Amino acid sequence: MSLLQVEGLGKSYNLETKVLKDVNFTVETGEFVSVIGPSGAGKSTLLRCINRMVEINEGKVIFNNLDVGSLKKKDLRKLRTDIGMVFQHYNLVPRLTVIENVLHGRFGYKTTLQGVLGRFSEEEKEQAFFLLQKLGIEEHAYKRCDQLSGGQQQRVGICRALIQDPKLILCDEPIASLDPNSSKVIMDHLKSITNDLGITCLVNLHQVEVAQDYSDRIIGLRKGEIVFDGKSALLREEQINHIYGTERRELITV
Amino acid sequence: MEMLRGGAQPKQTYIKRTRTGRINIKAGNKVELVTKWTIAMLAVLTIMAFFFFDYTGLQLERAITETAYNLKTMFLEPTLSHFSWGEAFHQIGITVGLGVLATVIGAIIALFLAFLAAENLSKPWISKSVRVVVAFIRAVPTVLWVLIFAIAAGLGSEAAVLGMLFHSIAYLVKAFSESFEEVDRGILEAMRATGSNWWHMVTHGVLPSTFTYLLSWTFLRFEINFGVAVAMGAAAGAGGIGFELFMASGFYFDLREVGFITYAILIIAIILEIVSTQLKNRYFPAAAKN
Ligand SMILES: Nc1ncnc2c1ncn2[C@@H]1O[C@H](COP(=O)(O)OP(=O)(O)OP(=O)(O)O)[C@@H](O)[C@H]1O
Ligand SMILES: [Mg+2]
Repeated sequence: MSLLQVEGLGKSYNLETKVLKDVNFTVETGEFVSVIGPSGAGKSTLLRCINRMVEINEGKVIFNNLDVGSLKKKDLRKLRTDIGMVFQHYNLVPRLTVIENVLHGRFGYKTTLQGVLGRFSEEEKEQAFFLLQKLGIEEHAYKRCDQLSGGQQQRVGICRALIQDPKLILCDEPIASLDPNSSKVIMDHLKSITNDLGITCLVNLHQVEVAQDYSDRIIGLRKGEIVFDGKSALLREEQINHIYGTERRELITV
Repeated sequence: MEMLRGGAQPKQTYIKRTRTGRINIKAGNKVELVTKWTIAMLAVLTIMAFFFFDYTGLQLERAITETAYNLKTMFLEPTLSHFSWGEAFHQIGITVGLGVLATVIGAIIALFLAFLAAENLSKPWISKSVRVVVAFIRAVPTVLWVLIFAIAAGLGSEAAVLGMLFHSIAYLVKAFSESFEEVDRGILEAMRATGSNWWHMVTHGVLPSTFTYLLSWTFLRFEINFGVAVAMGAAAGAGGIGFELFMASGFYFDLREVGFITYAILIIAIILEIVSTQLKNRYFPAAAKN
């Protein structure tokens, strides 16, 4: 069985426009998949249907043999512990320290009282420091997050996702707010997460070149429909033009 | 032909113009217009009011000199005559106590209600209902609430605390819930995506992000409550320095004592202000900057 199956997924926020239309694809364990497409194509929406941050309107999302759309509250929380998420704007609590923000990734495993009191086991704390070290930001562990640079904050975000011990990590434009150097650091870390830890990554990207360099497979989304799904090497000029609906030359290449 | 003419004119313009044809840069919506007219009407009414006052018996010169004389006695020759210094401190303590009690209990209750009132933490209908109730409570002045509670508790400090508490809760629920709504949606989304439940999000996401604001609002409300506690002492027999003020002015007509008490209240207010600023600076440097 594949790790993730999306079957006939449809989503609309209001009656007029359908943001996603009959989206079908599967992702195998250990794959690194990029989703590209123009602004407003529905990339973020697609990602949020997978861990049901938004409700699914039509079709099915099956993750790890669970029908995501039909889960009840408690099971939904359990599902979300298996899916890490990384955001464009990092979405850390700025006034808390790095280590506190990383440990937020463990709340999914806690009862209300344990979580409210902030009871974390020594293993969890050690794991948090191990991850910070792995991403090279151990020295900032006790700094407040708003004192870190964007690239460093994004690495904290990745630690928070990893400490969940997830099977899948969803990244919504993880490098859209970063300079080229930090972008490379982040993408290299994401790639090594898949290669070394065997965690599947599904990444929304704006930069076609980055998607081609890093991913095993690319999904092209245009106006809520999949118009390309295949190995990165197979993505040619004409497919890119088709996805973005323009001549490539006209796009500003980042 | 029709189409040609349509093409010749600008098809659709988003530019808004005033009647004289100048381009508007304000959104120019109804709210602005209503505000403008309301202010104009109020200004006109205020000026008109001066023409309708009853001026018979007004001797402006005498009024001014006597007021000046009274103010001089009050503020330049303050003394205590009907009670001692120790008594004065005791009464001030009662008044401050009333304010603290109403503020602290109010803040704690308001915190929980504010979670229900904040749109990003609650269901729409719950948040709406809490807001309506709270707006109603806030619309009625504190004094009236004290008098309403006095029906059940009798005039005195109990009724005063209850009334002040009631109004404090309503005030703080609004202030707190608006602070909560300022919290970045992304933070809540990220926490929800880890599998956190509502309590986790509130205690580790919302509270740390808004704590300094909550504290500032509580201090502000305490300053208000101190003033209200003085007034309640006079108006509702809640005791404390306000009651002494009432006795000195309305009962003994002792201007010198009124002056003394006014100074005492002023000094306490200044001390409270300094203490609260110091506290904020020491423990919450981030809030002092805001
Ligand atoms: N919460 C929402 N409520 C209503 N409409 C929404 C909401 N979120 C997204 N949309 C609409 O859905 C469409 C797709 O949005 P989405 O954010 O998924 O696009 P995207 O591909 O991620 O774009 P971008 O690259 O700019 O992030 C847009 O037209 C957007 O206006
Ligand atoms: Mg997006």
